[in-house]
Amino acid sequence: MILRVNTDMAAGGFGLGFAALLWLGGTDIGRLSILFPRAVLVILVAFSLLLFVKGFFRPGERSIEISGSPLRLLVLILLLLVWWFAIGKLGFVVSSFLIMLFITWFLARVEGPVSWKRLLLWTPIIAVMVGGFYSIFTQVLNVRLPSGLLF
Amino acid sequence: MDMLLEALASLMTFESIITVLVGVSAGLLIGSLPGLTATMALAVLLPFTFSMEPLQGLVALGAVYMGSIYGGAFTAILINTPGTPSSIATTFDGYPMARQGRAYEALAGATIASVIGGLVGVTFLLLLAPPLARWAVAFGPSEMFWVAMLGLTLVASLSSGSLLKGMIGGCIGMLLSTVGVSPVGWETRFTFGFPAMQGGIELIVALIGLFVIPELLSMAAEGRSNITESGEFGKAKVGIRQVARHILGKPVNIIRSCLIGQVIAIIPGAGGNVTSLVAYNEAKRFSKDPQSFGKGNIDGVVASESSNNVMVAGSMIPLLTLGIPGAPPDAIILGVLLMHGLRPGLDLFTESGVLTNGFILSMGMAALMLLPVGLLGARLIHKVVIKTPYHFMVPAIAMVTILGTFALRNSLLDVGIMMIMGIAGYFLRLIGIHAAPIVLGLILGGIAEQGYVQTMLAAVVDPIPWLRLVENPLSKVLAALVVLGAATAMLPAWLERSGRLDKGSPNRGDDS
Repeated sequence: MILRVNTDMAAGGFGLGFAALLWLGGTDIGRLSILFPRAVLVILVAFSLLLFVKGFFRPGERSIEISGSPLRLLVLILLLLVWWFAIGKLGFVVSSFLIMLFITWFLARVEGPVSWKRLLLWTPIIAVMVGGFYSIFTQVLNVRLPSGLLF
Repeated sequence: MDMLLEALASLMTFESIITVLVGVSAGLLIGSLPGLTATMALAVLLPFTFSMEPLQGLVALGAVYMGSIYGGAFTAILINTPGTPSSIATTFDGYPMARQGRAYEALAGATIASVIGGLVGVTFLLLLAPPLARWAVAFGPSEMFWVAMLGLTLVASLSSGSLLKGMIGGCIGMLLSTVGVSPVGWETRFTFGFPAMQGGIELIVALIGLFVIPELLSMAAEGRSNITESGEFGKAKVGIRQVARHILGKPVNIIRSCLIGQVIAIIPGAGGNVTSLVAYNEAKRFSKDPQSFGKGNIDGVVASESSNNVMVAGSMIPLLTLGIPGAPPDAIILGVLLMHGLRPGLDLFTESGVLTNGFILSMGMAALMLLPVGLLGARLIHKVVIKTPYHFMVPAIAMVTILGTFALRNSLLDVGIMMIMGIAGYFLRLIGIHAAPIVLGLILGGIAEQGYVQTMLAAVVDPIPWLRLVENPLSKVLAALVVLGAATAMLPAWLERSGRLDKGSPNRGDDS
């Protein structure tokens, strides 16, 4: 999918927005702690303004290309965020198993419809993968993974 | 010399050789998992050394350190994910090589470069420890500021297409490094009401997010695996001997990278990530074919991997002589030394000379062990990566990155930061702001801030405080190097714009 975007202006705008966010978030900070961030903020604003203005007169790329399916991209972004929330609520094992199974099914559909048989075949593979990593991290590396409501 | 021979004899036992073999293998495995750093590998395996003799314990940790730094190259090459921060620069050319079906060539190049780098580092450590450590003491706050600035000139060569976008990326990285408690004023900054943000944005979290998540999103969108479609390992085309002949046939690249690695390694705090980036940049700058860098030039992999493995032993110079860790994993080695009643300094080279020399030589043994362990491991790890269908690969990599990120500080917030940075990184890449300058800013921001603020504090009574930044001769030399570095980095872009250089040029430092 090709989107018409002036990338110079977009990048400059992002830099200005980021600088504004930190500028507003750094109002109650003492001199020693703000000395360096403020210097960098000023430089960032200068570069962003330059780029933004350049975008008006001598724009660089005028379009961006999202290669592949934007739907798959958005769904994966959503699933990653859901995974993050679900780990805290359901625990690492349950949430990872469910979301990994869903992502596998969702991405495998690129090659065509996924039969129940294939899905049933993948279930133990994913369970072993999640269980294996869970065991390595909790038993060998002594990392306590979130347990949540279920496990 | 007697101590050296005695140390060598104490290492030539079955027990020591097995310890090195197991240490290198364990380090390689942990280092190849994204998010699990060399520091973490050492920290995790530390308790296993408690029951060992001091020499055995140090031998094991030295081998783990060497293995984990090298292990970072595996995922850097195969899935564009630096296993450790030291392998950031390895992704620039290693991953394009893997996508062209030249994974074996890249891995063999990384292995040979790592072995040579490791051996060179050990030689430097044995020969130059005391004089170089005395030189490192001369680096005060203003010098550290200039060292950070010198690193930031790399942004110019890592900017893909637009220098301004690269600079914006570098500034964003530096600002991200200021989130949390400030290193000088000890105040909380930019946490936006989240107490958990006081710890700041961990470098590894940003690294995983910015390098891995955009790649996963691309894989999902395009419905493809990230390695070559034909699934070639590439061994049929190029063998280990040809790779070795290529590397040794261009000794200047490897010698320069080793020297850069060594010089930066003795500066406390600089670390392997900086060494590999600087060495990569210099390899590209001095290359007759700079356009091929970022598109699969083995010299880029060699520069990065040789310099970061020199750093393993090289960073021990200030540690063993002054007790200053040259890199974060060295802090753990320091802890082990102190635990066994060994204090860094001259005594370590006289009274405990056998032990110290044994430890240094064991790192040389570990470097040699990288060759068989690495080449065997390369085949196994590549097989797993290549045979796995992409619909399994994407969720599996996502799970490992989540685990690696969480394990750093047992923080779910870190997982969220990693994901948000990764998603933002994907879209920023589309508008031309790439991950490499952001990461570079994040690494060097802390060093630059500490140097800058401490210098300004010391100059509070001076009429023009910032002149203190260029007061010492060493600062002046470093400042001149910064100007020179920035000028030479910008020169090709200027020549290209003014029409004096062929267009069509380099996709500079493309981190995609």
